[in-house]
Amino acid sequence: MTFRKISCSMLVALLLVFVGLSPALSDNYPSKPITLIIPLGAGGSHDLNARVFTSVIPSYLGQAVVVKLMPGAGGQTGTAAAIKAKPDGYTLIFTHNYIDQLQPLLEKLPYDTIKDLKSVCRINYGASSLVVRADKPWKTLDEILAYGKKNPGKLIFTTSGNWGATMTPGARVLLQAGVEATYIPYKGGGPAMQALLAGDGDFMMSFPSQAGPLVEAGKIRALASAGDKRVFTDVPTLKELGYETGTMDRIVMAPKGVPEDRMKILRDAFAKLNGDKTYKKLMQRIGENTEYMDGPDYDKLRPANQEAYRLLVKKISGQ
Amino acid sequence: MWDNFLQGILLTARWDTFGMMGLGLMLGMFVGALPGFTTIMAMAVLLPISFFMDPMVGIPFLIGVYKGGIYGGSIPAILVSMPGTGASVATTFDGPALTKKGKSRKAMEMALFSSVCGDLSSDILTILFIGPIAIMAMKIGPPELAAIILLSLIIISATTSGLFIKGLVMCFIGLFFSMIGQDPLGGMSRFTFGFFEIKSGIPLLPMLIGLFAIPEILQAVEKKITTFVAEEFNLKSGERLTLKEFRRSIRTILRSTAIGTALGIIPGVGQVVSAFVGYAAAKNASKHPETYGKGELDGIAAAEAANNSVNGPTLVPLLTLGIPGDKVTAILLGAFIAQGLRPGPQLFAEQGPLVFALLVAMVFANIMFVVLGYLTIPLFAKVVTIRKSALLPLTAIFAFAGSYVYRSDPFDLLVLVFFGIFGYTAKKLNFDVTPMVMGYILGPVLEYSFGQTLNLARGDTLHYIFAARPITAIILAITPFITAGLWWRGVRLRRKHMKELPSEG
Repeated sequence: MTFRKISCSMLVALLLVFVGLSPALSDNYPSKPITLIIPLGAGGSHDLNARVFTSVIPSYLGQAVVVKLMPGAGGQTGTAAAIKAKPDGYTLIFTHNYIDQLQPLLEKLPYDTIKDLKSVCRINYGASSLVVRADKPWKTLDEILAYGKKNPGKLIFTTSGNWGATMTPGARVLLQAGVEATYIPYKGGGPAMQALLAGDGDFMMSFPSQAGPLVEAGKIRALASAGDKRVFTDVPTLKELGYETGTMDRIVMAPKGVPEDRMKILRDAFAKLNGDKTYKKLMQRIGENTEYMDGPDYDKLRPANQEAYRLLVKKISGQ
Repeated sequence: MWDNFLQGILLTARWDTFGMMGLGLMLGMFVGALPGFTTIMAMAVLLPISFFMDPMVGIPFLIGVYKGGIYGGSIPAILVSMPGTGASVATTFDGPALTKKGKSRKAMEMALFSSVCGDLSSDILTILFIGPIAIMAMKIGPPELAAIILLSLIIISATTSGLFIKGLVMCFIGLFFSMIGQDPLGGMSRFTFGFFEIKSGIPLLPMLIGLFAIPEILQAVEKKITTFVAEEFNLKSGERLTLKEFRRSIRTILRSTAIGTALGIIPGVGQVVSAFVGYAAAKNASKHPETYGKGELDGIAAAEAANNSVNGPTLVPLLTLGIPGDKVTAILLGAFIAQGLRPGPQLFAEQGPLVFALLVAMVFANIMFVVLGYLTIPLFAKVVTIRKSALLPLTAIFAFAGSYVYRSDPFDLLVLVFFGIFGYTAKKLNFDVTPMVMGYILGPVLEYSFGQTLNLARGDTLHYIFAARPITAIILAITPFITAGLWWRGVRLRRKHMKELPSEG
């Protein structure tokens, strides 16, 4: 019975393959490549950041980290997939605070990110600057806000998408200043900037990699920036001006239930990565900082952030 | 500027630049030819490699992947009616029909030459007119985009095979499918019935493979012949593209190049649309439109020249403002900044020679591609000569595998099967699925730009369009006339057809 023999041996081989892949039996984690889900599309800043750190981290983790782009439903498709994944430390997600902490407030989702995901670390953050086209009259943040207050709904705020990384910090400033503006979402920061330059918008929030060359060329003017440190040396931070906003935190997370020893291996690897020279150099080249934060510290910030967003969502959409 | 240009040429004259560019072209072509793997995925995966290379090696490498990938997508489209990328859908109209006549090699050669012609001329136009293109791109805002998409949808619905009204019906079905999932502006769920899986909408690639490849497999099964390529056609002789055939299509290629270059200026519309519009225009201009969709070489030339000539102008916002117009240029932007080049208004002033070097590299990439592509075509052409009993199951496996690897979501297999049945039924009832695909792809863009327009107008839309948006007003004003013209043309053609073939009436 050659056929039976063959099928038997194939079955055994298959079983062996599965056993070999099963992490439960091997304690030398990680023993196979780790999948990193990005719930966003190709070519975005998350993709680019991930390409940088996944090309350096194998030397600290001893395994490759494979990027898997899962865009869809504003980040929910990828997030759901990461939460559903087996909590064995072989599936991680590289996401940001608006998907993690704000999105669950907008509608009913089949998961609760704060409970279902635990932070490995914050890789860095993106601090956006409030910019206007160079020929607009406003020279300071106060001037544009004063104009907006006098003319409710007249200021056009071009954003990279509803409740995204550039709308939320801007909306927080507007709310604190009591200014009503018209929000126009675009598909990403690029088209939003193009609209601003074409004169279809009055102001927007823009990240340094995009705003930098345009500010230098004198096409746009930065009035204030998010974050603790100044982005442009002669432009104040929003904090200095008395406004509370946030940055876009790029965070690596794991589904809840990953064994503590494995979380520690991951966190240690990322901590070591942050001291790596090649990594720092590459991040600097793509115009990103390396303001790393350890996972447990970041987990402490998440509930508080969510409360701030809850207030914002309530005020703006009246929900 | 002339100095910069000359220095740029000197910068490209390096062996490693050409070597890596060739490697990129080949990699791109093979990845593009695999269903389910998109050019964008290939570029994203290969991006880190370019970080560690010299700018004049790393970026031409990625450009190679990009150009190779787009052509690669047309290979399975021609052979087994499986569009590897959205841009190659229009190529499935005539490609498989030619393959069945034993002319697959001819079709692939036509695709290669028209791709390269379209790409090359659009690159040269871009180098010459980078300034004016940048200014024109700025004039296209949401209202203009909405008007252009509306007009494109009408043109495409009107030029499908069959009745105008049938085309419109399919277009509306496509628009409806595009609404399933989260609405693009507000993020509300529509038609999801609480199922989380369809919240992100219907995935494009499984839908395309289902609509185009599955009906083709089913139809081949219906006909009980043993080989996919009819035996009476000799594969050895007469399969190559002749100079005469190419010359016959030059007008089409030029027209498609003009269309592609113009559509490339408009941010966010891209290759898919220009392939369809180029095809529609060629069919409209032809003296024998009835041969389109039944194995017309000119149809391949129209689609391929159009989708490739988008490449030049899409780079303009990236190079002049540092703003990526689509995903491909977003990845290129990543490669630029990782190399320490920050595209933006000052890039030309600071790095003039390098920018020209890259543009010149794109031109050379095309020339190189003719040679590499030509040499590999016989390899691919052999694929369809295997027995049908092996080829059809293989195609089916690739259809399922390709749909799955796109997002690794089992739900996509259901989508594939659903649209496979849908496509087959539509074919039997003589409904052309093209307007549906267009409606599906353009629906969200139309909805988005229309919503933005309403916001921009602050409630007074008509006044806003006619007072502040003259380009939009003109496009909207000519739309009814074009629609009427196309409809009348359709009526006349059918009458003529009926007179000639009274029995088929």
